[in-house]
Amino acid sequence: MKLNEYTQNVGMRMIVIQVVAFILLTLLGVRLYFLQIVQGDYWSGRAENQRVRLIPIPAPRGAILDRNGKILVDSRPTYNVVLSNEPLKTIDVSDRVPEYAHGLNLEPDFVAERLSLIKKQNDFETMVLKESASMQDIAWVESHGLEYPELRIELQPQRFYPHKTMLAHVLGYVGEISPKQLEQDEYKSRGLRPGDIIGKGGLEQSYDEFLRGRPGYRKVLVDSRGRVQSEIEVVQPQSGQDLVSTIDLDLQTTAEQQLENSATKRGTIIAMDPNNGELLVMASAPSFDPNVFTQGSKTPEGRRQIAAYWQDEKRPLYNRAIQGRYHPGSTWKIPESVAALQQGAISVGHSNIVCGGGLQVGNRFTRDTSGNHGSPDLPAAITHSCDGYYYRLALKMGIEGLKKMVETFEYDKTTGVDLPNEKISQTPKSFEAYIRKRDGGKWNDIETVFASIGQVTVNVTPISMLRAVSSVGVQGRMYVPHLLKEFRPVRATGEEGETSYFPGRDGFGFQHPEPKIIPMTPEQNNYVLKGMWGVVNNGGTAGRIKMANFEIAGKTGTAQNSEIGSGGAKDHAWFVSFAPAYTPKIAVIGLIENSGFGSANAAPAVRAIYDAYLAENDPQLLEPAPASPH
Amino acid sequence: MVAIIEKRDLRDFDWLTTILAISIAGFGVWQIHNALPNDSYWSKQIVGIGIALFAFFVIVFSDYRRIIDLAPFFYGFGLLLLALVITPLGVEVNGQQAWLRLPVIGQFQPSEFAKIPTVLMLARYFGQKKGGALTIRETLVGAAILAGPVGLIMLEPDAGQAITYFPMLAAVLFLSGIKIRYVLIAIVAATVMIPAAWIVGVKTGKIKTYQQERINAIIDPESVDPRGYGYHTVQSVITVGKGGLSGIQGDSQTSQSVLKFLPEPQTDFIFAVTAENTGFIGCISLLLAYALLLSRMISGAREANERPATLVIMCFATSMVFQIFMNVGMALGVLPVIGVPLPLMSAGLSALLTTFCAIGFVVSIRMRRFVN
Repeated sequence: MKLNEYTQNVGMRMIVIQVVAFILLTLLGVRLYFLQIVQGDYWSGRAENQRVRLIPIPAPRGAILDRNGKILVDSRPTYNVVLSNEPLKTIDVSDRVPEYAHGLNLEPDFVAERLSLIKKQNDFETMVLKESASMQDIAWVESHGLEYPELRIELQPQRFYPHKTMLAHVLGYVGEISPKQLEQDEYKSRGLRPGDIIGKGGLEQSYDEFLRGRPGYRKVLVDSRGRVQSEIEVVQPQSGQDLVSTIDLDLQTTAEQQLENSATKRGTIIAMDPNNGELLVMASAPSFDPNVFTQGSKTPEGRRQIAAYWQDEKRPLYNRAIQGRYHPGSTWKIPESVAALQQGAISVGHSNIVCGGGLQVGNRFTRDTSGNHGSPDLPAAITHSCDGYYYRLALKMGIEGLKKMVETFEYDKTTGVDLPNEKISQTPKSFEAYIRKRDGGKWNDIETVFASIGQVTVNVTPISMLRAVSSVGVQGRMYVPHLLKEFRPVRATGEEGETSYFPGRDGFGFQHPEPKIIPMTPEQNNYVLKGMWGVVNNGGTAGRIKMANFEIAGKTGTAQNSEIGSGGAKDHAWFVSFAPAYTPKIAVIGLIENSGFGSANAAPAVRAIYDAYLAENDPQLLEPAPASPH
Repeated sequence: MVAIIEKRDLRDFDWLTTILAISIAGFGVWQIHNALPNDSYWSKQIVGIGIALFAFFVIVFSDYRRIIDLAPFFYGFGLLLLALVITPLGVEVNGQQAWLRLPVIGQFQPSEFAKIPTVLMLARYFGQKKGGALTIRETLVGAAILAGPVGLIMLEPDAGQAITYFPMLAAVLFLSGIKIRYVLIAIVAATVMIPAAWIVGVKTGKIKTYQQERINAIIDPESVDPRGYGYHTVQSVITVGKGGLSGIQGDSQTSQSVLKFLPEPQTDFIFAVTAENTGFIGCISLLLAYALLLSRMISGAREANERPATLVIMCFATSMVFQIFMNVGMALGVLPVIGVPLPLMSAGLSALLTTFCAIGFVVSIRMRRFVN
């Protein structure tokens, strides 16, 4: 039987089938060449990306200590329940909401929000579902591992503030970097990523890059469901550097108690070493608990508490020491006295000016609030806080003299304290343009008179006042106040030359800028000092806080904070001081809001700090105990 | 049925085809082991090869002419098995009732086996044709022969298997004198109709979202949701691509299949496993082995001394080319994901047995080419 009959041409047709078969196989070969040879590296990379995962190991943040090594802030291990998006990518998660909410004791709304967020994340990203998980939470997650492969327990060092509200403004707190911060160059340049924990406020913010450790990671192999198959590499984290602050915890405790026991429980106390700017105390009341921010921001109660802090009209989140601006009242007379001597408005030995119980400016008589002091010299005017004296002195200096004084004592700048968000004081210099616009281009004498006693156009931060006044005790050296004493070094981790290697970080102290020198002669200096010494030791306005063996030099202030003479809220009470008067080791300022006279309210609070200081450093100088009966 | 083995038979025994088939199957066992080294698929496949070789030799030493004579009987038996699948005797896997579990024999896939009687039936009918152009009547009878098994398979439903039947009919019609102009018309019509049907199907919603995704995954694998229906295609392409020139050679640390990124690695995506483990060199060698096997089969068909024998071989060869192209094309991301096994390579006794039976016919026919 012949198969190659003409009509069917079977042989030819078989060749056609064979050729088509070979063409098809060749096409496959070409495609193989393209995928494996041309694009091989690309696909290898894709494969590696999906099977290798980096699991970060958070680095412990450096602790913050007081000057004597007492713990102010620490990190302690807590466990977080973490969601990973891998197993959730392709499934409907709505049924998870009530189950998580019930199992982990969370609000359903919060769970739903977190689930929808994690589904939008990149592959292999994780997100914290519950922080500080309890043992029950951990047990629940472990026992539901098969149903919910997306849940896992992760160790997370948790920032812990053992002293709660104490020092809160100085320390600040930590929290997840916000989307807004991620946009800012300051954070971008440091390579921070979503979910990173950063310092917010206080020293936590100022020194974040040193406190922050360098996170390590585990490089692991995962299967398609994200389950870890094996570990490829571990890089241990390097902890952050410990910060030793200048704060003295015992003095701080005393200060906080004084504020707590004050009339309004609102105010600030700052203590500084005038010889170098180290801040021993910085208390601001009312305060807040930083633990609420670090632990509670994920729980409904925590968020309620945070909202309450923000809405509280007493403003507990704001650091009165560096952000509060108050009329300084008579404390303003100290820099004013120095400036008057410098500018030649008065001189040592020729400084008597009439008090007159006040001053007639135009058709208005401005009283001296403490009576008529005759015709005192400068030290007496300081000691007895003679307003009439300063009305006339300031008129001699004029607005230009006041502006020069502002510049000399740097009230037109921040003090440079190492805390974020410090405010600049407001002064006649900063108000001049506004006043002249309001008053038809003139600066009226009455503005000078008000400014002379730290009212109306004078609004200063307590820290700037302490810095200016304490310079009088140390021959006019104005140091930058600071809270950092030193950072301790950390050792290198990992093997040198390996990817796991982190070099050690050196310890370092605060980099002192050159102090600003207030130009004055020793005679001028002593002249002002004499007045300040008299305030406490020579029957002055703060005579009641006199100490037997420790001479305080200071100045009271009672600042009206409503329109002068209109009544309303009680005055702010000030006391600014240093001791011992002629060789000061410590300078302290106290401000109690709306409590009345400085002599009665602020000075005793400041005295308590000196007592505590002596108890710690020179107990024999404390007043001898009353003699025992026998 | 078993004929007496004569000396002449052994002399004409096609060793090359036999060794090629066994080699490819052995290579397959290695790849199945690479795919899932901790499972027993590869050892089961070795047992499967043993069973398949037994069936192969039974067929080789039987007289194929008598078997073709009995084709209607086998065809009826095949249809009976396919019908049983859709009774409660059938076993459902992944939403398809494609398996039959019988006592003693165990579980198997009749849609694979039914290819043999279908080919025999087509060869028997068209083999009687004496000459001249193909008539409409003949075409319709051919279509009817195919309609039986294909219809039953679509009831399972298993579109992937059903589609492998059509090339057999196409081969028979082509070799039975269908006019070339009809072939050209069919090709032109297909190139126009397939995109048209696609557009209409998408617009009217007849083509389901997941089916669209599978096609989109081929056109642009990067733009589809890699976790969705395009997942299989994307993962297969990654697996093939990362093989590079010489592959990872069984390194289970980075294996896409061991880490479960690649689905069905021992069956549908065995070619991707081969590509990952043996690279471009291994894949091209495999494709050359197939090309050589197909050449042997087609030359066997050419040398056959009667028409039904030629048709049997050409049917099997066409079917094999089609399956290779569908399976490898799917693994390389140029064809949609349809569950067509790769002949001789994919794990599974039914497919292995069927392919060895088909090759058994080829060897048997070749061995008897001088007998008349």
